[in-house]
Amino acid sequence: MKIIIVGAGEVGFHIASHLAQENKDVVVIDKDFAAIRRVSDNIDVQVVSGSGSSPVVLKEAGIKEAEILLAVTDSDETNLMACLAANLISPTTKKLCRIRHADYDEYHEVFRDQAPHIDTIINPEIEVVKTIERLIHVPGAVEVEEFADGRVNFVGIHLDKSARLNGVCLSDIYAKIGKQSPLIVAVVRDEELIIPRGNHVLRAGDLIYFISEQEKLMGFLSIFDKHVEPIDRVLIIGGGRIGFRLAFLLEKKSIYTKIIEKNPDRCAKLAEKLNKAIVLHGDGSDQDLLRAENIQDMGIVVTLTNDEETNIITSLLAKRMGVRRTITKISKFAYLPLMSMIGIELVVSPRLSAVNSILQHIRKGRVLSTKAIKGEQAEVMEAVALETSDIVGKPIKNISIPKGALVTSIIRNNTVIIPTGSSVIEPNDRIIIFAKKQAIPKIEKILAVKLEYF
Amino acid sequence: MRWSFILYIIGMLIIFLGICMIFPLLFGLYFKDQSVIPLVQSLGITVGFGLSLVICFKKTKVEHISHREGMAIVAIGWTAIGFFGAFPFYLGAEFSTFVDAFFESVSGFTTTGSSILTNIEAVSKGLLFWRSLIQWLGGMGIIVLSVAILPFLGVGGMQLYKAEVPSPVPDKLKPRIRDTATVLWKVYALISLAQVLLLTIGGMSLYDALCHAFTTMPTGGFSTKNASIAHYDSVYFDTVIIIFMLLAGINFSLHYQFLRGKPLAFWRDSECRFFLGSVLILIVVVTFDIYGTVYNTLGRAFQYGSFQVVSIVTTTGYATADYELWPAMSQLILLLCMFLGASAGSTGGGMKCIRVMLALKYCYKELFSLIHPRAVKHIKIGGVSVSEDVVRSVLGFMGLYVGLFAFSSVLIASMGVDLITSVASVAATIGNIGPGLGMVGPTDNFAHIPYLGKWVLIWCMLLGRLEIYTVIILFVPEFWRK
Repeated sequence: MKIIIVGAGEVGFHIASHLAQENKDVVVIDKDFAAIRRVSDNIDVQVVSGSGSSPVVLKEAGIKEAEILLAVTDSDETNLMACLAANLISPTTKKLCRIRHADYDEYHEVFRDQAPHIDTIINPEIEVVKTIERLIHVPGAVEVEEFADGRVNFVGIHLDKSARLNGVCLSDIYAKIGKQSPLIVAVVRDEELIIPRGNHVLRAGDLIYFISEQEKLMGFLSIFDKHVEPIDRVLIIGGGRIGFRLAFLLEKKSIYTKIIEKNPDRCAKLAEKLNKAIVLHGDGSDQDLLRAENIQDMGIVVTLTNDEETNIITSLLAKRMGVRRTITKISKFAYLPLMSMIGIELVVSPRLSAVNSILQHIRKGRVLSTKAIKGEQAEVMEAVALETSDIVGKPIKNISIPKGALVTSIIRNNTVIIPTGSSVIEPNDRIIIFAKKQAIPKIEKILAVKLEYF
Repeated sequence: MRWSFILYIIGMLIIFLGICMIFPLLFGLYFKDQSVIPLVQSLGITVGFGLSLVICFKKTKVEHISHREGMAIVAIGWTAIGFFGAFPFYLGAEFSTFVDAFFESVSGFTTTGSSILTNIEAVSKGLLFWRSLIQWLGGMGIIVLSVAILPFLGVGGMQLYKAEVPSPVPDKLKPRIRDTATVLWKVYALISLAQVLLLTIGGMSLYDALCHAFTTMPTGGFSTKNASIAHYDSVYFDTVIIIFMLLAGINFSLHYQFLRGKPLAFWRDSECRFFLGSVLILIVVVTFDIYGTVYNTLGRAFQYGSFQVVSIVTTTGYATADYELWPAMSQLILLLCMFLGASAGSTGGGMKCIRVMLALKYCYKELFSLIHPRAVKHIKIGGVSVSEDVVRSVLGFMGLYVGLFAFSSVLIASMGVDLITSVASVAATIGNIGPGLGMVGPTDNFAHIPYLGKWVLIWCMLLGRLEIYTVIILFVPEFWRK
């Protein structure tokens, strides 16, 4: 499968490296020589230097044989032009385009039906706002992903020192707590992701990923000593596009929201568009302002300025001033692994969201959604079990599931089944699979319809 | 630098080399000659050593290979391959000392074609086949081959590829390095096969045709005959070999494009035009220089003139005539051809046409800006501007090349070798050509070079094949700093 990526920025770079590791044929186009150099020095892909919106450059990159075009430059206009040019040269190529500006929101459908016929428009900002909303509502979670229309949650939490499960072996959880534990899918310890067995001992500091049905989630969280505290006050720092979207959403839910923005013009705009939320003009890292606005009473502080260093510092400051939870927006992937080390647990990244939505559209078979988890060491995929694929009609233990992958749940007619070795997947079941990076190509293969190859 | 990881990969390469020894062994068994025992012994030693390296360092994780590690693997790997490739020669009867066998082996892998042997025809068929096969393996690059067929190198293959096939303007034919390597090897094998066919049609035995195709395509130059191609003295064979030497001297990505149905690819490429144009001019000059002085007919002069010019400029090193009997101008032209070399991305050696082109354009730009001090002028190849970085690295390369050539010739001369031989032997080895002038001319061999001199020349061959940087970097102290 050949994929052309226009734009070698952070998103383009990471998708390229992700796909190259899965043995796909990737061509990256960028006009910046240094960006191209960074790609060709680090990833096994072909590079073309030139503007991605130019038909000549697209042809040189081989758009005619490409199955998918990803337009992910920083400029919405360039992305749209690239799709338009691609549509002219090679109408059959699937086009994915990142469009961030809210002004385009209502035209997404139009772009799909008329030229440039963009198959999928990706707006990472909407995704990020959704992620923040979920994080606000699930206590203690570092990561929350929803599958099967929200019926199944995939949750990541850090185990605290004081937790009862600290030092407990997985198979002893029932004996210790007296309650059934959720299916623990993965544990990240010292940056390394492991799929635990029954004899695995949990330790404080572990990042535990488990899967749970929506209704049971709160109960499971209490096993890990994470307790619900209703959130009624939120402080947002940074009134950019994401900040605005979030404030708008929260005020609709009648959550008391304050938003701090540095730029007076932007403040005026926000005040115009927002009704209940309080818009404050000032610097988010100004301690006096924060104290004056009673920061210690805030349930959660979300830092969303365009400068990630400021976000990090402000979050740390807020914690010091007594806020229990902060959510920090980070763009540089290189910073992600450092965050838990310096005490910032909840992190959102628009770029990671963009990577997630793009991956979902690239997967073969009937994959409904895909989420890459921390550090991109693994993915969780939701897929429909096709009648002709290799996985249906036999007990799970008889399916040759590749090493490093796990069928975590089966959803059949609105019931969620956490499978055991003898469970059987039936046609049209929706299944949620957890897979380490190395196992993904094989998973794609078993999910795909056998008939495809005839 | 993760040494265990580097040694693990080198171990794999050595095993791979050992497995390749099966092919000459089959010939040895077929002809029932005395090469069987040395080949079996070397196969055992090579595979055994490789396996022990792999087992010792098995636990290392193969993930990303850094640029520096890539260069270390390639430079050390090539030395190791040359070393183990020497065992069949050393254990056979023909080579008295290990340094001779090592010289022959490195000369093979680097596609130089300088030989120690005085009487080639007396050597067993199995060993001669090994001698040809190692040139074929080394031509397109043994590491490129392993990137193509060994899956474990998939991820880090790119760094290795870049270190083994350095080219001023790298071109990747396919998005993935493994596919690129596979395509290159397929094209290479296909053209070699075509040559085998044409040679057998002309009446050469299949064994000789294989051996000669295996040394033409990598621009190697080992022959199975004492008199090289002159042995056949046939216009047909000369023509076929000239054509295939030229093909081998052209960038293989152009062959690929040609086979994909773009017949104008050769013409469109400015380096290819430069290469073929200079070959043509040199042939005309040499032909007229030797017509009347050495050969009486223009046809003869053209036949021998063109063969020698193509053989030297593509850095193959076959001979059909003793050019030492030619006028001084022709000899000097051939000596200078050794520096020019073939195209980048071909199997040929030398400085490579594209570098010479860039340097010439750079000189012109300097003159131009003396006349128009405020002019903004870019150096372009085929209509595309070449970045300053590339030009700088090319000039650096040429500086190093000439510097190392001068230094090594002085070393050889210091061992009591005469002037012309010292200069020519270094030029012929650093450019991976084979025969030089003086005591190492087309009718002589390298057996009489002093012991230390052979080591210097081995070093020169490796320098030339890996295009200087990859090898010389190991001698820079900064490289070893943590």
